[in-house]
Amino acid sequence: MDNANIGIPPKGGFSFDLCRRNDMLSKKGIVPPPSYRKTGTTIVGLIFQNGVILGADTRATAGSIVCDKNCEKIHYMAPNIYCCGAGTAADTEAVTDMVSSQLQLHRYHTGRESRVVTALTLLKSNLFKYQGHVQAALVLGGVDATGPHLHTIYPHGSTDTLPFATMGSGSLAAMAVFESKYREGLTKEEGISLVCEAICSGIFNDLGSGSNVDICVITKGDKEYLRNHQLPNPRTYISSKGYSFPKKTEVLLTKITPLENQVEVIEVGDSMEE
Amino acid sequence: MGDSQYSFSLTTFSPSGKLVQIEHALTAVGSGQTSLGIKASNGVVIATEKKLPSILVDESSVHKIQSLTPNIGVVYSGMGPDFRVLVRKSRKQAEQYHRLYKEPIPVTQLVRETAAVMQEFTQSGGVRPFGVSLLVAGYDDKGPQLYQVDPSGSYFSWKASAMGKNVSNAKTFLEKRYVEEMELDDAVHTAILTLKEGFEGQISEKNIEIGIIGEKKEFRQY
Repeated sequence: MDNANIGIPPKGGFSFDLCRRNDMLSKKGIVPPPSYRKTGTTIVGLIFQNGVILGADTRATAGSIVCDKNCEKIHYMAPNIYCCGAGTAADTEAVTDMVSSQLQLHRYHTGRESRVVTALTLLKSNLFKYQGHVQAALVLGGVDATGPHLHTIYPHGSTDTLPFATMGSGSLAAMAVFESKYREGLTKEEGISLVCEAICSGIFNDLGSGSNVDICVITKGDKEYLRNHQLPNPRTYISSKGYSFPKKTEVLLTKITPLENQVEVIEVGDSMEE
Repeated sequence: MGDSQYSFSLTTFSPSGKLVQIEHALTAVGSGQTSLGIKASNGVVIATEKKLPSILVDESSVHKIQSLTPNIGVVYSGMGPDFRVLVRKSRKQAEQYHRLYKEPIPVTQLVRETAAVMQEFTQSGGVRPFGVSLLVAGYDDKGPQLYQVDPSGSYFSWKASAMGKNVSNAKTFLEKRYVEEMELDDAVHTAILTLKEGFEGQISEKNIEIGIIGEKKEFRQY
């Protein structure tokens, strides 16, 4: 027993030992890496006249299978801040949940409304700490005392501040729409229809995005969460009454032919030896 | 809190079986400013007198009643700094509960956890008990609730209670005035009257603090 180590408290933080092992295993091809639910996504945000509009599609994929046709990608951070998440679904949900909790405690201690830059800094420090292993690409938007803000956060912890932003596998399709149609000082209706167009562009042109459009409009002192604002891919389900075929096959003739049983007895001369 | 060889509990039993430090802590509470709480049929009210050491103190910066969650508030009698530490710990525990179970923490659970913290400080090495008694008022799906938590870590549910300097007078007054199915507005009125009983000087909105919780809300007014 090494007495010298007793007094030292255990080191905190993430232990990266297993990451090296995983890398080694996947290089050798011994064990296929476990597949996880990705949100191969289109998420967008833009700043309009009075605030911020966030939009997202609702398809979650696990490999090439759609595992959730109507998932929620716009996460609550604070009453005046929302965050869209792309990447590994578990990562985006866990990290936004954690920071939302921290923001709530911060609000109690300061007695003030949370600021978007606070959420931004908490998120980016967290993602940087995990060196990109937490695969969460986020679009963070909100309105606080200093005005409307929109940021993108990459899995390694870098951030951008932009008037309009897109992330996810459908980001190029959505960005094409934004680049041609965005201008400053959009009204709320124009903003919502532009965001819908961008998400629809991602839905129809990207395999990883699909189903419906979720929108969140944040203005000073108010927010509107429009879940399933547009449903461009209605899903028709099997009728609960069951199938019924109008015309049955007609019976024209009934003829029964019994088969004769033919049993042949073959005499075996020699009995089998041994 | 020390892990060293020299940290042992400062709260030890006396020959008569009492924990003297806790008795002293209760004395500290008893010399603090009066606070009280009343549970009505549709809400809870907590109130305290806010006597500042000098007229030069900015009274809007002093908050003796704090909210722990949107539907739970707390008031104290005793040492202010100890109260601040407890509020901080309780808020964090409420938030952790919410993270884990995705539901707002029930009042009893929060009281239990706060009481556990207070008890810990009567048994750990090198620390002293908290010099505050808390009155926790909350409204959850079990209805309105009022709890008192003592420095020893014991907690009780009350229909109406008082603590601090004027405790005996206030409690007698409350016993006389308390009605079973009291409405929230009557309770607020009774609370102010009870405070006025032991008040030295002129009572005004600047030297008392009131916290009221109706259905699922906590808001304060002076």
